[in-house]
Amino acid sequence: MPNERPWLTVLLWVVLSIATLFPIYWLFVISVKPAVELFSTPSLFLDTIYWKNYVKVIGDDTLRRYMMNSIIISSGNAVLVTVLAFMACYALSRYDLAGKENIFFWTITNRMAPAAVFLLPFFLLFTQVFAIGDWKLYDTRIGMILLYCTFNLPFAIWTLRPTIDGIPKELDEAATVDGATTWQVITEVIFPLARPGLAVTLILTWVFAWNEFLLAATLTSFNARTITTGLSEYVTTTGTEWGTMASISIITLIPALIIFSVVQRHIVAGLTFGAVKE
Amino acid sequence: MKNGLIAAMAIGLLTTVAPARADFWSDAGAKFQGVTLHGVTESTPPSNYIKDVLAPEFEKKTGIKVEIETTSWDQMYDKAIKDMEAKTGIYDMVYIEQDIIYAYLARNFLVDITKSLKDDPSLKAPDFDETHFTTFANYFKNAEGDLFGIPMEAFIKLYLYRTDLFNDPAIKEAFKAETGKDLVPAKTHEEYTQIAEFFTKWGKDNGKELWGTTAQAHTGHPASWYEFFESIAPTFGVYNWGIDASKNYAASVANGGTMNSDKAKAALKYWLHLRDIAPPESPASTWTEVGTTFAAGRAAQGLVYGENAAWIASDAEKSKVVGNVGVALPPLEPGVMEEAEAGKGYIGYYDGGAFGLPVTSKNQQAALLFLQYIGQDSVQSGWAVAAPRITNTSTYDDPQVIEMDKKLGGYYTMLKDQGKLFAGAPPYPFHAQVREATAPIFYKILTGEVGSDEGLDQMAAAAEAELTNLGYRK
Amino acid sequence: MRSNAVGWLLLAPTIVILAIFGIMPFVYVLYVAFHQWNPFGANPLMIYNNGDNFRRLVFDQEFLTSIAFTLKFAFFAVASEIVLGYLLAQLFMKEFPGKGFFRTIHTLPLIVAPIVVGSVWRLMTTPSIGIIPYLLKSWFGIDMNIGRDANVAFALTVIMDIWHWTPLVTLTLLAALVSLPKEPFEQAQIDGANRWQIFWHITLPMIRPAILATVFIRLMDALRTVDEVWMLTGGGPGAATRYVGLHIWKLVFPKTDYGYGSAVSVIVLYLTLVMCWLLYVGLVARRDQKRTA
Repeated sequence: MPNERPWLTVLLWVVLSIATLFPIYWLFVISVKPAVELFSTPSLFLDTIYWKNYVKVIGDDTLRRYMMNSIIISSGNAVLVTVLAFMACYALSRYDLAGKENIFFWTITNRMAPAAVFLLPFFLLFTQVFAIGDWKLYDTRIGMILLYCTFNLPFAIWTLRPTIDGIPKELDEAATVDGATTWQVITEVIFPLARPGLAVTLILTWVFAWNEFLLAATLTSFNARTITTGLSEYVTTTGTEWGTMASISIITLIPALIIFSVVQRHIVAGLTFGAVKE
Repeated sequence: MKNGLIAAMAIGLLTTVAPARADFWSDAGAKFQGVTLHGVTESTPPSNYIKDVLAPEFEKKTGIKVEIETTSWDQMYDKAIKDMEAKTGIYDMVYIEQDIIYAYLARNFLVDITKSLKDDPSLKAPDFDETHFTTFANYFKNAEGDLFGIPMEAFIKLYLYRTDLFNDPAIKEAFKAETGKDLVPAKTHEEYTQIAEFFTKWGKDNGKELWGTTAQAHTGHPASWYEFFESIAPTFGVYNWGIDASKNYAASVANGGTMNSDKAKAALKYWLHLRDIAPPESPASTWTEVGTTFAAGRAAQGLVYGENAAWIASDAEKSKVVGNVGVALPPLEPGVMEEAEAGKGYIGYYDGGAFGLPVTSKNQQAALLFLQYIGQDSVQSGWAVAAPRITNTSTYDDPQVIEMDKKLGGYYTMLKDQGKLFAGAPPYPFHAQVREATAPIFYKILTGEVGSDEGLDQMAAAAEAELTNLGYRK
Repeated sequence: MRSNAVGWLLLAPTIVILAIFGIMPFVYVLYVAFHQWNPFGANPLMIYNNGDNFRRLVFDQEFLTSIAFTLKFAFFAVASEIVLGYLLAQLFMKEFPGKGFFRTIHTLPLIVAPIVVGSVWRLMTTPSIGIIPYLLKSWFGIDMNIGRDANVAFALTVIMDIWHWTPLVTLTLLAALVSLPKEPFEQAQIDGANRWQIFWHITLPMIRPAILATVFIRLMDALRTVDEVWMLTGGGPGAATRYVGLHIWKLVFPKTDYGYGSAVSVIVLYLTLVMCWLLYVGLVARRDQKRTA
């Protein structure tokens, strides 16, 4: 869309960004203050910087392992979910399947459940149903990748469906007439047009998996524990270690930021529907 | 804490490499090669010491691998209970806070350590002796005196005051002029209130960020409930949360309980007044904030958990009042001290926990070895320095601990000499259940939606209803 | 020309995964909901108790209060997020310098874990020493106390939610907007339609499915919020922010009341479902008619 007053827009965004960034800036402030100063008269700006929280956190092997787990679980889950949802949405959009709108609605009901009470059945599923000999789904990364599908898959299907529905059917029909297989239609016609939607789905499912706390806390322990769950180790009955918690949080922003900036490039207008012109 | 931990680690290594009986561990461990023990505990300094120091040491000596999972308090319970309830056998060691031991014992979740060692003397470590624990270990024994948990942390919640303020001549004079009394740590509730009021006013008059007392009075977190029932009500002579197990678990006065007795009502009024003259953050304060409030120098006196008292008094990175902290017994109503000395009551909260062995564990023998390892006298002093807890009697006499006691204003001495006046949570198997059933009403009292007398009446009724529902009250 | 078998095949993995991890646990919870079960009760075993749990919750004042507060919270939070998110998405449709940079900044709140969001907001709003109450006091003389004032606590949970989740709305609506064909807009401009007309007659009908999906997601997520609120207020003052997700958490975690907790969860799930179903039928049925036409 043309913009007559770009600088006004920029100014608006600067203001909005300050509001958005403030809590994150404050998280940083907390991370570079010794605990003793958190309960003194606050000041908007930092006069000295205290790095010890970071030194402690960066040198910690356990946290590094949690971080790797988080990256693997979130990325694995986001990719899996996006692919499955893409397939499912294509099926829902293009095929005349019996009861498909009901199936579509049913998928989202899986996201509605209040998590706390479902932990017990999940725990039993992970330790007793999916257990072969000594091996259990409990405390494995693959277990978490699969489990996160329960809330991410419905989300992905619901965010992708409008995008796929919005791609005119005439396009795949034309391709089919030209002799393309279903696979080719999906990968060569639909995929490029659905890219913005897919990118957003990928980002957001990644975010949900990355931030998930309760399920990971219950269903992982030594091997597959994620960094978000690791953070709760600093909330104790002796007291909360705000500084450590904040510095870990700041560090965890980095991988997330990298993934965001890579994937976000695909949310661009301009994959025009010029071809649709009748 | 980190520096302390490293130092303690070094000390721990030095003191525990006692060559004489080192053989026992390698011999005993030989049978369990390839075994990995899993434990779950809260990520507090004493637990972190087990994870970072004792577990690796044990592994070196015995060849048995130990993995300790540290997590938050709620998660720790939830995971341990799910594991034991579903008989999954994930954990070989679980943390047992003193207040949940009765629930675990009622469910037969735990292995009888005394009996197991008697049954299989080959597992008994020569340096482990149950009688070396302080009386705190009694909380983890059954009626026959058998031990079900190895004590690993123990603290008392005590009265902290600022020695710099209490010894300031100008302040002393002002206090004397205003009240006609000398400014010394309070013995009674009236004195405590008077001192609190004086300092709050003094802070205001002098434009200082200072108030007369702390208050752990969060309006949505059980910390406030705990402060009242564990630390305030007993000093007014209301014990065991006002629930009387011998009278069919009665809570209300009408049925023989004391939760809504006149004493309880007076206690609540006293505490609510303190909350009102405490720093403004008090209605949003849990134990975390109370510790930090005191450490930031915002309160002249207050009731603080022992585990926090130590860093407040000694860690300059976390506290502004290092070297200015005095410890004293909580202020009491007349008669309460006599009851406590006679063993009929108590004056405050003795808090702590132990490591236990779930019956569902698949590596019970190896776990028994580890539990004995952390219960030995020889590993205690490094542990006490890294995390201010004492569970074995001999630890009090350790030179490092004596040194530290001076820094902490005599906290360890108090724990040793007066610890017996304090008590843990009452021996009920329904701890969190009754707390959660009554806490919503308590929060309403704190916000003023319900009057304090009326609120306690409602709480007593709610406690009885929950106990009936749970099947304890017939 | 097209075999439906392929369609089913494409849908199959989704159905299988959701059946295993969705239906099976639900059946278990439903089963538990008809029992009295507290592992720390005098009888720790599961006892079938008819529909007692469900009868009890109809009169459970705490539960009902919690539902009312939750609905209020969800309404204010979601409505603000949708309006704000839509406006921001439209702003991102314009070309301006630094667009990619601002878009990244705008999405940052999403990658902060809810428990951390709760912690930061808690420290920012600690009475008298948090930066927000401090500045309000020193600039405007206003006393703000999250531990005492229920309205303040409620408003803060809403604001925190808006801060955290508006970017999600922006992103999903942005994806919908960039995928729209350009022709109808160009045509409308040629025909001399004004902005409002374009929004009402072209943009809105075209992105309605996306808006609906976003409302759904945000609504059900807001209804089961736990971590952030638990960190910020713990549910207080009193019961003012004890939203239903947190209420259930307290029933199941510290109180270990699995039986009653399950019944409450089933009812909450049912209420959410009905609410969404009504929205869905009301809004989607119409869309389907249009599409097939």
